[in-house]
Formats: sequence, C-alpha cells, structure tokens
Amino acid sequence: MRFDIDRYKEIVDTLARNRSRTLLTGFGIFWGIFMLLIMLGGGNGLKAILSRNFAGFTSNAVIVGSSRTTKPYGGFKRDRYWSLDKTDIEAIKTLVPESDIVTMMDAEWGGAIVYGENSYSGIIKGLTHEYEGVEAPQLMFGRFINEVDCEQERKVCVIGKRVWSNLFPDGEDPTGKYIKVKDSYFQVIGVDSRSGGINISGSSDQSVVIPYQLMNKLYNKGGKFDIICLTAKPGADSEVLQEKIRGLLSRRHTIAPDDKSAIMILDTKKVFTIVDNLFKGVNILVILVGLGTLLAGAIGVSNIMMVTVKERTTEIGIRRAIGATPRMILSQIITESIGLTILAGMLGILFSVLILWAAGSVVSSMPDFSSGISFQIGFWTGILVLLMLVFLGVLAGLAPALRAMNIKPVDAMRDE
Amino acid sequence: MLIELKDVNKTYFGAQPLHVLKGINLGIERGEFVSIMGSSGSGKSTLLNILGILDNYDSGEYRIGGKLIWDLSESKAAEYRNKMIGFIFQSYNLISFKTAVENVELPLFYQGVSRHKRHEMAMEYIERLGLKDWAGHYPNEMSGGQKQRVAISTALVTKPDIILADEPTGALDSKTSVEIMDLLKELNEREKLTIIVVTHESGVANYTNKIIHIKDGVIGQIDENRSHDAMRFGSEGVLK
Ligand SMILES: Nc1ncnc2c1ncn2[C@@H]1O[C@H](COP(=O)(O)OP(=O)(O)OP(=O)(O)O)[C@@H](O)[C@H]1O
Ligand SMILES: [Mg+2]
Repeated sequence: MRFDIDRYKEIVDTLARNRSRTLLTGFGIFWGIFMLLIMLGGGNGLKAILSRNFAGFTSNAVIVGSSRTTKPYGGFKRDRYWSLDKTDIEAIKTLVPESDIVTMMDAEWGGAIVYGENSYSGIIKGLTHEYEGVEAPQLMFGRFINEVDCEQERKVCVIGKRVWSNLFPDGEDPTGKYIKVKDSYFQVIGVDSRSGGINISGSSDQSVVIPYQLMNKLYNKGGKFDIICLTAKPGADSEVLQEKIRGLLSRRHTIAPDDKSAIMILDTKKVFTIVDNLFKGVNILVILVGLGTLLAGAIGVSNIMMVTVKERTTEIGIRRAIGATPRMILSQIITESIGLTILAGMLGILFSVLILWAAGSVVSSMPDFSSGISFQIGFWTGILVLLMLVFLGVLAGLAPALRAMNIKPVDAMRDE
Repeated sequence: MLIELKDVNKTYFGAQPLHVLKGINLGIERGEFVSIMGSSGSGKSTLLNILGILDNYDSGEYRIGGKLIWDLSESKAAEYRNKMIGFIFQSYNLISFKTAVENVELPLFYQGVSRHKRHEMAMEYIERLGLKDWAGHYPNEMSGGQKQRVAISTALVTKPDIILADEPTGALDSKTSVEIMDLLKELNEREKLTIIVVTHESGVANYTNKIIHIKDGVIGQIDENRSHDAMRFGSEGVLK
C-alpha cells in the first residue's frame, strides 16, 4: 500500500467536507475521553486534597489517649477519670521494644493569644522536640521546638498558620516577636503552615505549641496529660505494639483490658490504608466507568460509520468503478475512523486538561489549601489514552470498513 | 478484435431467477463507435456492466484484446477498469463533495500518480472539455451538461482503450445531448477511441457508426450506419 501524504489528504478532505457527519460521529469519542480524563483528574485532585491533610504524618504513628472508663474493674466503678503521666512513657520505652519515639501531648483549649492590637483564641499545645518525628511540621518561618528549649523550659512557641495570620495580618515574619499567651509572654520561633489533617487535640493551624515541661508548670498540671504519641520501630508490627501498650497501661492503671473506650488507640497506618484503598476503589471505578463510556463511544462511532457507509454506497461504488481496490476502500474507511477518533479524542484531552487546570487553580487559590493542588492527569496517562484511541479507531472502523469493502461497483450504479 | 463475447449468459437470482442474457455473441474492433439499442429491461445495462468488468457473467467467454475476463480477483478487476475502461453514466456518478477537477483526478489517485502530475493532467482534460472556469466547482453547482463533461473528463483522463456510456444523454435536454454526442463522435474520430453507447433513443444511436440491437437476451440485428441514416430521425439530429 502506498504511504504518501496524498492518502491522508484524501481522508482529511473527506472528513472536512462532510463536517456534520464528522461531528456527529466524533462526539461519542470526545465525550468518552472527556469524561474519563475529568474523572481521573478529579480523583487525582481529591487525593491531593486528602493527602494534604495527612502531610507530614508518619504512616506508622500510634496515638494513645486516656478517657473515662466504661467498665468496672479491679474494685473500681465505671466512669472513672484517669490520666497518663511521665512514668507511663518510661514504662513503654523500656517494656515495649517495638516502640521508637514515645512522647506526650497536652492541650489547653480557648487560650487568648495576643500581639499588639490583635488577638486570637486558639489552642495551647505542650509538646516535646521528639514530636517532630511523629508529625513533621511544615515551617513557613523559623524552626520547631528543639531539645534545649525543652530542657531549659524556654518561653518559646511555634504558632499555627491561622494564629499567625490573625496576629500578624500584614504577613510579616514573626520570629523573634513576643506574643502573650494567657498570662505569659512567649517568643515566637516558628510558624507551622500545616492545616487540617489528622487533628490531635485540635487543628494545628489554630495552635500555639510550647515546650511540654513549661506548660506543665505554668498551668499546674501536676505531671498529668491525656495523650501519648508514639511511632513503631521500622519493621515492627504495629498491631503487636498496640496490644502491648494496651496491656501495659491497663495493668498500670487498673483498667479492664477490653475497655477500648478508656484506652483509645488510633493507628494512623489503618487510616492511611483505608484512604489508600478508598482511592484505589475510586480509581478502579473511574477507569471502569470511563472505559465503558469510551467503549460506548466507539460503538457509537462504529454504528454511525455503518450508516454512513450505507449512505456512501454510491461514492464507494464510484471509487471502485474507477479503479479503487477493496483493500484501498478498507484502508480508507479504517484510516477515516482512526483519524476521526484521534481528532475527537485530542479535543477531549484538550478540553478536559483545560477544565482540570481551571479546577486546580480555583482550588489552589482557596485560602485553606495553600497552593499546588493539581487535578492534572499524568503525561503517561495521556499517552496511554492516545494509544487506546488508535486501537478504538481500528475497532470502530473494522465492521464498517468490511461492509464498505464488499460494496460492488454495480451496487452503486443501482442505488439511485 | 478488441472486444469478443462468445455465448455469454447472465441470470439474476432474485425472488425468481431472471435469465437476462441468453448467449450473447458479439465482436467489436478497436476504434469502433457503436451503440447498443433495445427496449427497457432487455439487458443493455447488464451487458454493459459485464463489458466494464463491473459485474460477472455466468457462462461463456469475454475477452478484451484477447485476454480472458473470467474469475478475476476484485483488485485485478479494479486494475483493468482503471487502466482500460472509462465509464460515462446517465446519472454522471460524480462524488458530490469533490470539485470538478478533484473528481477527474480520482482515477489517477488510484493509479498512484503524484498529486502535482494528476492535477496537471486533470486540468488538461477539464480545459479540453471547455470547463476551465468550472474546475473548482462542486457538482451541485453545475448543469447536467457540465456534469456530464466532468464525467467524460474522468473517463478520459486515464487514457483508456474503451469508453462505455450507459444512457449518457438520458438526463439531458436535446441541445446538450447533441453537444455530448458530438463530443463522443469527435473523440472517436480524433483519438481512435473505442466507444460503446447504450441508449434507447434512436437519435443518439444514429450518431454511432454501428447499431447493435438486443432483444430477448440475444443480439438481434446489427445495422451499419456509416452514412448515419439508419434511423428515421437521423437527419434531424437527436430527438427527444
Ligand atoms: N441486480 C439485479 N437483480 C435482479 N434483477 C435485475 C438486476 N439488475 C437488473 N435486473 C433485471 O434484469 C433485467 C435487465 O436489466 P437491465 O438493467 O440490463 O435493463 P436495461 O436494458 O438496461 O433497461 P433500461 O433501458 O430500462 O435501463 C430487468 O428486468 C431488471 O429488472
Ligand atoms: Mg439500463
């Protein structure tokens, strides 16, 4: 078969000069591709938004919290309040070899935070420098609390993004400035831009983080706190770790071993797995629905081309009469089909990319998301879709082309 | 003998079998200008389609230039049609979304002639047939006579041995019919083209040098018409 530009010009002419037929035929493919990519891109964007919520969190973190007992045990009635303390941390560190970082978290709600004229009511969190290993802060200014801050109980703080934007509305670097938290002054050493996410003791963008020891003293906590954050050693089984901690704490505090409400354990790995599976599911669904739409589009193209071929009996008969071989007709119809599918598909890709881009910039410009949320599809997804288009083109063109091939020149003469 | 038919039979197997050609014996020399006449349904178009390798026959022998036309593959048939035969039909058979010159180029496209060359050749024939100003027009922008000239250009552009015309004036008024027949006559005289015209109009038949009558599926009378007076209406040109 000759492979020259002429053949393609012939196809382009045929498609271009029968515009409404071309439009009608291509729409199914356009729509299929458009929907598939919009859904894939939308899924990517959603995932990016959700992942942002977990950003910084170690995937093997375990959070343990103390809460009222719900079962009588060891001579105690139910509904008893209990708290954790420093000895629990040491006990975990020595008795549970699967644990890596073990650190406390304490929180005070509704503290007035003031800088100059501006004030904000946020959460005061007491943490140690070790907490950085559980949930990495995203610092837009300065640094996080370090070991020296904790040991010397320095009056320093890391403020959340929303606290910062309320106290420093001009957006300046607040490090080095002194802010008043409840009754004491703290020097700002950093701003954490994390927002949302797995919120332990309140959202981090509304928090002021100070060294735990300092908080314990300032607010007369008597060494008690409600939350221990820890991570599992690399390779350690998080389930085993959780079981050991539950056993240890229930012994130390005389709590029914099966009282899951009294010793609340949150395993981020589980959350991550759930979210991951959710997105795998969503992706599979999107791909199935998208492929279905695409296939329906291809069948549509095939159908319309079938009708078209019938309509074109005379044209094809004329071509045959003046010397086109059946193979030339076959390749013409298939090439037309491929051309049409690619044209329509490219338009579908173009439009969906534009819309995804618009969605991405709208979401990224929203105050709560900072920037960089992308709804875009990957380059290779694009290439794959393109290959699929060619394949679909051949598929869609096959039946009509075979039919066209069987048109005899006399059929055309008769069909008047 | 350019065209030779020996006992050619053709039956259409429709709702009930119809034996249309019942043993056609016919010879046509190179350079002849003949017409085939017969009543409607007598099998003229059927015969012409067989001559043009557009359709198969059931038994007998059909030779072009000694070559037996039997059991050809579709692509071989297409090649023969493309190289040896030019068609002219009553309904012009032009492709509606192609301009006049593009229609004329099409047979050359299927021959693999380069774009530039085939445009040149197509324009040459378009101009020869007086359609220079219409080259870029689509068929629906042209009169019947103009369309038939485009069709004739298409038939001529591959320089075929044989021109087959099925009712070429069937859709034209008498004045235009005269022009078309004059054109065919001139082509036969100047280019020594073999031309076979199917018609049921005696005026049209009278233009040709030989009139072959077909009746009941066989060749009947063959009139020599060198003096163009075989038909009653001969001297008055084409009558409608
Ligand atoms: N494909 C076909 N299937 C069945 N019968 C056919 C077919 N083509 C033609 N016929 C029949 O064969 C007979 C001859 O047809 P043909 O077209 O050759 O006649 P014709 O001489 O050209 O007539 P006209 O002058 O009306 O064009 C007619 O009776 C017609 O109905
Ligand atoms: Mg006929």
